[in-house]
Amino acid sequence: MFKQIKVWLVLTTILSLIALGTACSKSATNGPEAETPSATSKAYVPKGDEGTVSGAIAFNGAPPAPKKIDTSADPACGTANPNLTTEDTSVKDGKLANVFVYIKDGTAADGTKIGDYTHKTPSDAVTLDQKGCQYVPHVLGVQVNQKFKVTNSDPTQHNIHPNPKSNPGWNQTQPNGAAPIEKTFARAEVLIPVKCDQHPWMKSYVGVVKHPFFAVSGEDGTFVIKGLPPGKYTVAAWHEKGGPNGTEKTMEVTVAANGTAKADFAFGDAATASGNPGLKMMPALDLPMIGRH
Amino acid sequence: MADSPETTGSLVKKEPETPTHDPIVSRSTSGILLLCALLLTLSLAWALWDEAFGQRPWKGIQKEFVSRYTRYLKSIKPQAGKTEAEVKESAEYQQLEAEAQAALEQVKPETAEADKKVTLIQKQIDAVTDPFQNQRGRLTVISYNIETAEGSAKEKYRKEAERKRQEVVEVELPAADGSGKTVAQDMNYEQLEKFYNDKREEKATLLAKKAELLKEPTELAKKRDDYLKHHIIGLTPTAIDGLVRKMDNFDYSILGHQISVNSANVVDRCEVCHIGIREPLDIKPADLAPDGPGKKPDSLARAFVSHPNRELLQIHTPERFGCSGCHWGNGRATTGEVKGHGRHKYWLWPLFEKENMEAGCQQCHAKDRVTQGADTLNRGRDLFYERGCVGCHRYEGFDRETDALSGTRQNTTQLEDQILQNEKQIRQDTEAAGQAAEDAEAQKLLAHAESLRVSNSLLAARIDQANLQSKYLMQDQKKIGPNLKDVKLKLRKEWIPVWLRDPQNFRPGTKMPTFWRFAETANKSGVERDKDAEDQIRAISAYLWQESFEGKAPPQSRGNAAHGQELFETRGCLGCHSIGDASSPTGGEFAANLQRVGEKSNFEYIVRWIHNPRERWAPYCPKEKRDLTAEDYSKNGKPYVFDTELNSRCPNDGAELQVQNMTVMPNFRLSDSDTRDIATYLFSLSSPPSYADASFMDDPNLKLQGGALIKQYGCAGCHEIKGFEDEQRIGKELTVEGATPIERLDFALLTHDAEKGHDPLDLHGEHTEKPWYNHKGFFEHKLAEPAIYDRGKEKDPKDKLRMPKPYLTPEWRTALTTFLLGSVGTEGSNVPRSLFFDPQDQRRQDIQNGWWVIKKYNCVGCHQVQVGQNSGLMGVAYYQTPEGKDLLPPRLTSEGARVDPNWLLRFLNDPSLSGDKPAVSSPASAGSPGILPATPSASPTTPANATTAGRMPALPAADGKLKAQPGLDRNGVRPYLKARMPTFNFSPNELQTLVRFFMALSGQQEPYIKEPLQPLTEQEKLVARQMFTSGTPCLKCHITGDPTHDAKAIAPNFLLAGERLKPDWTFRWLLDPAQISPGTAMPSGLFRKEGERWVINLPNPPASANEYKNDHAQLLVRYMLLLTPDEQRRLLATAPVAAPAAPAPTAQRGTRDKKPSTSAGRDRKTRRGTALARAVSLRSNQRGRGL
Repeated sequence: MFKQIKVWLVLTTILSLIALGTACSKSATNGPEAETPSATSKAYVPKGDEGTVSGAIAFNGAPPAPKKIDTSADPACGTANPNLTTEDTSVKDGKLANVFVYIKDGTAADGTKIGDYTHKTPSDAVTLDQKGCQYVPHVLGVQVNQKFKVTNSDPTQHNIHPNPKSNPGWNQTQPNGAAPIEKTFARAEVLIPVKCDQHPWMKSYVGVVKHPFFAVSGEDGTFVIKGLPPGKYTVAAWHEKGGPNGTEKTMEVTVAANGTAKADFAFGDAATASGNPGLKMMPALDLPMIGRH
Repeated sequence: MADSPETTGSLVKKEPETPTHDPIVSRSTSGILLLCALLLTLSLAWALWDEAFGQRPWKGIQKEFVSRYTRYLKSIKPQAGKTEAEVKESAEYQQLEAEAQAALEQVKPETAEADKKVTLIQKQIDAVTDPFQNQRGRLTVISYNIETAEGSAKEKYRKEAERKRQEVVEVELPAADGSGKTVAQDMNYEQLEKFYNDKREEKATLLAKKAELLKEPTELAKKRDDYLKHHIIGLTPTAIDGLVRKMDNFDYSILGHQISVNSANVVDRCEVCHIGIREPLDIKPADLAPDGPGKKPDSLARAFVSHPNRELLQIHTPERFGCSGCHWGNGRATTGEVKGHGRHKYWLWPLFEKENMEAGCQQCHAKDRVTQGADTLNRGRDLFYERGCVGCHRYEGFDRETDALSGTRQNTTQLEDQILQNEKQIRQDTEAAGQAAEDAEAQKLLAHAESLRVSNSLLAARIDQANLQSKYLMQDQKKIGPNLKDVKLKLRKEWIPVWLRDPQNFRPGTKMPTFWRFAETANKSGVERDKDAEDQIRAISAYLWQESFEGKAPPQSRGNAAHGQELFETRGCLGCHSIGDASSPTGGEFAANLQRVGEKSNFEYIVRWIHNPRERWAPYCPKEKRDLTAEDYSKNGKPYVFDTELNSRCPNDGAELQVQNMTVMPNFRLSDSDTRDIATYLFSLSSPPSYADASFMDDPNLKLQGGALIKQYGCAGCHEIKGFEDEQRIGKELTVEGATPIERLDFALLTHDAEKGHDPLDLHGEHTEKPWYNHKGFFEHKLAEPAIYDRGKEKDPKDKLRMPKPYLTPEWRTALTTFLLGSVGTEGSNVPRSLFFDPQDQRRQDIQNGWWVIKKYNCVGCHQVQVGQNSGLMGVAYYQTPEGKDLLPPRLTSEGARVDPNWLLRFLNDPSLSGDKPAVSSPASAGSPGILPATPSASPTTPANATTAGRMPALPAADGKLKAQPGLDRNGVRPYLKARMPTFNFSPNELQTLVRFFMALSGQQEPYIKEPLQPLTEQEKLVARQMFTSGTPCLKCHITGDPTHDAKAIAPNFLLAGERLKPDWTFRWLLDPAQISPGTAMPSGLFRKEGERWVINLPNPPASANEYKNDHAQLLVRYMLLLTPDEQRRLLATAPVAAPAAPAPTAQRGTRDKKPSTSAGRDRKTRRGTALARAVSLRSNQRGRGL
């Protein structure tokens, strides 16, 4: 009899303790979600041992001949620039101009990622002119938040219509004689196409980069990126042809202290079909830029 | 009694027998007692502890929150101070600050002067207040004495009062020069009173003057503070301090964080632990991590976050809905996570899992077709319809036309019965009247008969309406799958069994589910394929083949595949269809992937289909329950013509016929050769393999068995099949499936596995051993593998589960599960019906009704209808490039505000705006000898199409003629777009629903009554013309009617504006088009604000514009909307746009016109020449049309 009572008491106690234990235990189900704080960016200070990346852009195969543009829609254009031709593939002696080259990624010798540096925003504006119903220059780079100024040197109206993906878009009219338009791009984006809806052949590309390490290949196909801290980098070269978003090629280079690294790229025949998404509809859809509301 | 010797003997005292072992002596219970006492004490202690802590785990959680949140608030305060400082440093703020300061400075001398005066006056008032009030008090006492005194005493007191009034008191008044000295002055009561009142009045005047002076500075200061308020992002340091203080005084209780909604019987204590939910900051898990902000969060940190969708919380305020109203869970429980979340077998409303969260929306929004913000749920509803679930499972509100149609038909029968009864009564009454005894009685009977006749005419009118409705409903009734009466015309015979063996194998992702009982891949599901699987396939194939229309589509030659590809990729096919390998297709998921169409179908049939998918082979009569033949027409002396317009009735009995293929695919108004090109392209993508012989399909013995199988599997739910037109749904109704008690969900032999968390399908990753014995688990597994609950069961074939296996991605499965979980009806809901969303206002109803139609035809495949929703085409890589973006079909987000509803109705009815009569199907009507229905007697060609035949391009002799295409190759508004708004052949019902939808979406009044526009004076016309031609780019892009110009135009003709656009919308469009349609080619900044009016934004505006003093934009709106063809010609004559001799073929022209010389190309060229003329005739046409 006593034994039974004892057993019951002990059991009750144990059970209540267990119940207590379960009631109080927090179910801790820590998921794998681990948010590491982003590395704080640090201001870039040149140390004096900066190197250079330089190179030339070759074009393989026969370049497509520039095509004459029909300017009949706006006689002002025909008058100002009777020999307007397409500028998409500008090749001279096998060298390709208007290729945007920039440091896409990489790490400086001290272990800092190139993207983690903050750079001072240059105070001077980068100007895109509309001259002879063409954008001058055809390809250009600006730094994030740097002033981007658009001027109209033509005797006709234009509208400037960038089509960014990660920056706010806009479409501003600019009659002849109107004041320059000044805008900025707050986010890095390579490259933002700019067009004029009234002159569908007018195209320009703006590369917005976080740092000053970019260049555009000249008529001889060469480019130079100066002032780069020593380190290992991915250099990217972007050209507008080859797909809905152009073609980008990359290359790894190592820049020694005060050294010069070579980065030669080639576009054209042997260099097609990279970064070309989805449907192959370029031939059928190479239409003039036309618009709608 | 007590004297028996025995008793005496027992009285002798005996020595107690001392036992050898006395338990009382030798044993003690103290040990047990001690133990009990200890246990009692312990359990008391435990009870107390449990009461204080065990039952209140939330106390610790609250403490943890307070400490972590305070730490976080303190960590962000410096940053907040920084943003405030940044705003304060901005030029705008500085200027506002300066203005406020300057205004203050300006009035300072005057206010200072006033202040000084007020101070002095106040001192004077103070000095005189006491003496004055004392004297007044004394006088009051005397007055009281007068009132209470009797007789002569009154007079005595009166005299005393008079004395008091005259009594002089000395007052120390501050000197008026403000020197601070005081001057003693004697004053009687009257003087005191006057002085006191005068000074007070003087003070009030001065203060009012000061307030007037400070008005401007105060307003400026407010402006400055408002600027700060509107420009600080996040909280100000003061606000953060407030939150920290709130944490210092935190209310550690349940009641302080409990939501009670009496009306809904909701008591929710969720916020007892989820304290951060309604904090004014966006709290992320990492912010409240145990080791400090930005560190790794734990489960508590995740519980402390703020609500992720603040907007939603504002619409559904917790004060009205609680938390559990949407999320479910056990709102009252506070003792643990599991209990609070209601994750218990016997709790009816367990908290929805995160991915099924939107099931809570469905509970109350069951009547919505689209619930804004509930994307997963909306996807679930879409899938339920699009993937054909509705073919087998009834769900209230889905499959609207069929339900309405049966209702209408029932109604018609009742009305007809009523008429017959009335007629009988009329006869009886008339007869009785003839034999009536009294005239009065006869008259009464006759009157009754007459009233019945009139009633019958009213009933007849209702029948007419019902008939019209059934015509419309039949026009709008669609099937998910193709019409299987066409198989002989359409398909390669041998391919049919291949397809049935496993549709997903031939075309992964297709809507047709895999029938696992006879599918080749059945064993994958862990359940064996039926033993007679091959026989079943053969039988079904045989039935379909033998019960098909006989005949052959007219022969067609192959066209230009490259041009076909261009058309396919640009006309808008990709909005619904995808193309390309199944692993990486491009295009929409709404309709089939067309990569392998060439392997299965006949080229001729596909050409005819692309040309007009609605064109039916033979009409079906629901009354006779059979497809009509040409004979039915000829024997009634009627031509074999059937369409939705004038020839929709049965020649035998006048019943409304099904005259269209029941497909949602519209007519793209393609020319014959374009049609052939597209078909050629599709057929070029694959080459037909050789299939196994299928001659068994002609075996009549198999047919009977096939019919039984088709019935058993419910094929007619999605397909039109001969003999199964009126077949009922075979599946369970799912309207309140989510409320089914768990015991009634048959987990079969998997119950144990489900409870233990063993998942044979492993739906949620490899090592999750989570019990799935719940609704979610049941639905997910059923959807993933419908055969699963037959595993291990011994069943007769006829009792096996019938549900086939649909193609569903994991996201789709989640969406459907969400939809089903929320489908609980009133009974299964955890809130009362009164909280359900049941809009009574017309606007919301119009929107929901419209969504049914929008979704049915997949308008969103091409158009953006609602802000935040992307069209299918937007997802195609090409349409993401700058060029492609410009070619996207128009955004319809502001359509209701933009266009005149009457115009919209016309446009939706005929998007070509050609005014041609949209006719649908009648194989013989188009003078199409090429189409040869099986019955040889059937080709009574009609000359009806002599008029349209003129437009038809001449065809190579080999090609069978296709029916004339009204509005051929035309886009009504935007001819420059490659994508084409197709003709959907909506019934008037759907046309109205759509128009009302767009109007309601933009909050427009219905019906629309045009505001008259002030006509333009000659002077105004001149000004407008000059604005148009000098410096604004309008005429460069908009179609003008000049063919050379229009070839490059990219915007609609202004001539359309008057009928189409609403003036207020047009005005807003002119000012800032990007706000209405981001990314539009129409530039912003054409006008600038000058004072209250908008003026043209040109450096050198024309002189006439400078003189025009009214709003320029308004003038242009009137000019455009009132534009006549004459005025347009005048305008163009003024324009300096030269019509130059076109230079040699150039790059731009080259690509644009590189189309082969097809009929379309020719047609377009001729069209350009007459564009203006047509625009004019179009207007008159439209006026002429009754719509």
